[in-house]
This record gives sequence, C-alpha cells and structure tokens, in this order.
Amino acid sequence: MLSLYRIIKFSFQDIARNVWLSIATITILLLALFSINTLMTVRVISDSASKAVQEKIDISLYIKPETPESEILALKADISKSARVKNIVYVSREAALIDFREKYKNNQEVLAALKELGRNPLSPSLTIVPSNFAESNLLINELRMIDKPIIESRDFSDNAVVLNKINGITKRVNEVGLFIIMIFILTSLLVVYNTVRVAIYTHRQEIEIMRLVGASNSFIYLPYVFSAFIYTLFSTLIIIILFYPFLTLLQPYLEVFFMGYNVNILSYFVTNFWSVFGLQFAVVLVINVLASLFAVSRYAKV
Amino acid sequence: MITIKNASKTYVNKVKVLNNVDLNIEAGEFISIVGQSGAGKTTLVKVLIGEERLDGGQVIVGDWDITKITGREVPFLRRQIGVIFQDFKLLPKKTLAENVAFALEVSGGSSAKINKIVPSVMKIVGLEDKKNRYPDEVSGGEKQRAAIARALVHQPKILLADEPTGNLDAINANEIIDLLLRINKFGTTVILVTHNKEIVNHLKHRVITMEHGRIISDQENGKYLL
Repeated sequence: MLSLYRIIKFSFQDIARNVWLSIATITILLLALFSINTLMTVRVISDSASKAVQEKIDISLYIKPETPESEILALKADISKSARVKNIVYVSREAALIDFREKYKNNQEVLAALKELGRNPLSPSLTIVPSNFAESNLLINELRMIDKPIIESRDFSDNAVVLNKINGITKRVNEVGLFIIMIFILTSLLVVYNTVRVAIYTHRQEIEIMRLVGASNSFIYLPYVFSAFIYTLFSTLIIIILFYPFLTLLQPYLEVFFMGYNVNILSYFVTNFWSVFGLQFAVVLVINVLASLFAVSRYAKV
Repeated sequence: MITIKNASKTYVNKVKVLNNVDLNIEAGEFISIVGQSGAGKTTLVKVLIGEERLDGGQVIVGDWDITKITGREVPFLRRQIGVIFQDFKLLPKKTLAENVAFALEVSGGSSAKINKIVPSVMKIVGLEDKKNRYPDEVSGGEKQRAAIARALVHQPKILLADEPTGNLDAINANEIIDLLLRINKFGTTVILVTHNKEIVNHLKHRVITMEHGRIISDQENGKYLL
C-alpha cells in the first residue's frame, strides 16, 4: 500500500516536472480519440440512414381498377407465402385517393386537376416490403413471374441505387477513417514511447540512485506505467467532455438533413456510453502501457 | 564475511580486468584496496554490488553466493551493502535529509522507520543542523557525509567506499576517513578503494594492492606500495 502510494507520488512528480511533454502526449492521444469518435459518428449516421432507406423500400403491384377485391386479396395471400416477403399491404382505390390528396394537400394545381377529372383515377395496389434488402432483386424476379391478368403494372423503382450509394460512401469513409486511425494509433505509440524515454533520460540520475540504494525493478518501472494510465485517463475524460457538446451541436443539423428519418447520434452515444468510451479507454491504455513498458525495459537500465 | 575465489572478468574489448582474484575479508575489517587506474578496483566493487557479473570464479557475501544472484535479488543485496562514490550521487532537487530518506522510500520503508532512522544517521555523520540544505548549498565533504548517511540507512554490514575522497581537499578527506573509521568501530566492514597514498599509509590497516586485475600484495598494517 505504501509502495503503491510512493509509485503514484513519483508518477505525479514525473508528470509535473515534464509538464509540457505530458500536455503534448495527452494532445496527441486526444487527436487520436477524436478521429476515432468522428469516424464512429459518421458510421452511426450512415448506418441509421441506410436502415431508414431500407425500411422505405417497397415494391408495388398496380391492379386493374375494376378487379373485385376478393381476387386482389387472393393475390395478396399468394404473394405473402413467399419467404422473401416481409410485409404486404393492400391499398384500395379509396385509400390511394386519400393518400394522394394528403400528399398533395399543398399543391393546388394537382388538386384542381383531380377535381376537374371528376372521378378517382387511381388503381388499387399491393405494396410489398422485402424481408431482406439484399434479396430484393430475387423478390422482384419472383413478382415478374406472376402471370395474372388483374395486374395492371408493376413498379420496381430501384431504391437499391440510393442504398448502394450510401453503402459505397460508408465503405469509403470507413476505409479512409481506418487509415487515419492507424496513423493516429501509430503516432500515439511513438509519442508515448518517446515521452517515457525523455522522462527516463531526465530522471536517469534518480534511476541510477534508486538502483544503487536497492529499489526493486518494479518500483523503478511502475511510476512510468502509472503515468501512461494517467495520460489515458485524462485524454479519455477530456474527449468525453469535448465530444458531447460537439454531438449536441451536430444533432439539430442531422435532424434537418435526415428529416423524416430517425437519426439520433446523441442518443446513440448516451446509450452506448460505456461500450464506446470504456472500450476506447481500455484499448488506449493497453497501447500506452505497452509503449511505456517497452521504453522502460529498453532505457531504464542506468 | 566476503570470500572471493578465482574471480575473473574480461570486457568485450578483451581487456582482462580481474584475473583469478582470491580474497577473504573478515567481518568488522577495515581494508584498503589500492592500485592504479585500470587495476580492477572499481570492477571488484561493481561485482560486489551485483552491477557486473563474473566470467568465472565465485563471490560469497555472508552465506550468499552472489555469482548466482538473480535480477530480482540484486536490490536485496544492495540493501545489505552500503556504497559511496567519488561523485556523491546525490539528487540535486532534494535536501540532504530527503536524499537520505529516498533510500528508505524506494525500498518500501515505512514513514515511521524513515522518521526514526534518518535523523539518527544524520547525527552520526554530523549533518543534523544541515539536513534541510540542498547538495549545492554544502561543501564536498558534507555531500560525501550525506552520501555515507544514505549508505547507512539500511544498517549494512558492509560499506564500500569507491574513491570517497577523490573530489575532496585534504581536511575534508581526513574527516571522511575518520567517519569511516568510526563506522567501522560500530562493527561495519569497510572496504575503501582509493589511490590516495597519504590516507592509506596513515590508516595502518590491511592493504590489498592490485595491478592488471591481479592482487599483487596483501599486507596487514600495510603501506601504499605503488
């Protein structure tokens, strides 16, 4: 207990005596953590956007207006037997008209044209949601095979293009981000290693005397390892303090950009606080401790 | 107390610094090891504190064969052998008392033990009134006395003094030798490594003379031969 207290005391003395070096180390670690969290933010946003678009993917079969409802429901039952169908909704002519009016309630020209027409021009339809986005093409092929005279037209408008674009961007961001993270992790390793090396150089006389008067190796090494723990703790705490206001500022812009979609980056980081920052703390701690141990084992032999 | 048998050591540049050295030192002895630079005196000191390993031979301190000592055991050996050097090896940012206490702190000594032992060793070396001074505020002799105080905090059975008067004037040098003699009278074995002829001749104790890594003379009440 007493040794632990003295190890901590020597560690804080070391940090204080090399205060600028300590600040530089924490700054580099902060940059690394900030880049990791920014990449994670981009990933969460793109994942949310991708899911939101996937949920809105549907395929519509338009039915001839005069078809009896029983035949439409029979077709619906047939299609829903497919394992590739997650959900199928029958939209009657009347319901389609209500939806149409709601959609164009602010467009007087469209509404006037509809009124002038004097009848409901819309067809009943079956809206089909695929169970798996990746297999939507197979579902479309299945639907193309259906040869029923009641089918007026088929709308396979390809939302997949949008999704592919989002996924493509996400993939690119991840690749570039991973490269940036690797650079930052490598930089952090070198910086911590050099910080400990410089600390050992400035304390070489003290280390020599420690050895001379019978200090154990662990007593000589552990203050530097504890300093690595302090650098990790401070950089993680500072990134938490900086990142939440950053997310709070970002959230309103995201809400405007993804209007109609549920993209809440702040709630993601609040819900996953321990897994996100706990994991980051653990990984950075392991990196720092390894760099410290490597430096002390190499340079603390005075 | 200390038995050295056939000790040999060759450095990587093939210089043989210890060549079949045999030496026996009894508990409570005061011996001087003399010789010119490169004779092997300092290497012998380094071997005794576990800083250098022998290529061949055996060194036994008490019942402990330190030629077989592990890295983990070296700190325990150093707590049993006090060492002082020509350049004092004091920390400039610590007071004399803090320098002395440091030896106990790093070896896990309790605060109560530190508060008890440090003032008493400062008194033995005559620095009780200068305990709060920093090394650069005191004379060379006082720095060496502080180093001796630090060497004494573990109450070692052996005190190794490697050229302790090398940086001191004659008056301070004599004070340090008197202090080492007093410590020896308490029962501590003192091994003085020096090339100061006047001091050795004045001491009239056992003198070991080394040359080219060999012991060429071992005299009771000896004189400086070279």
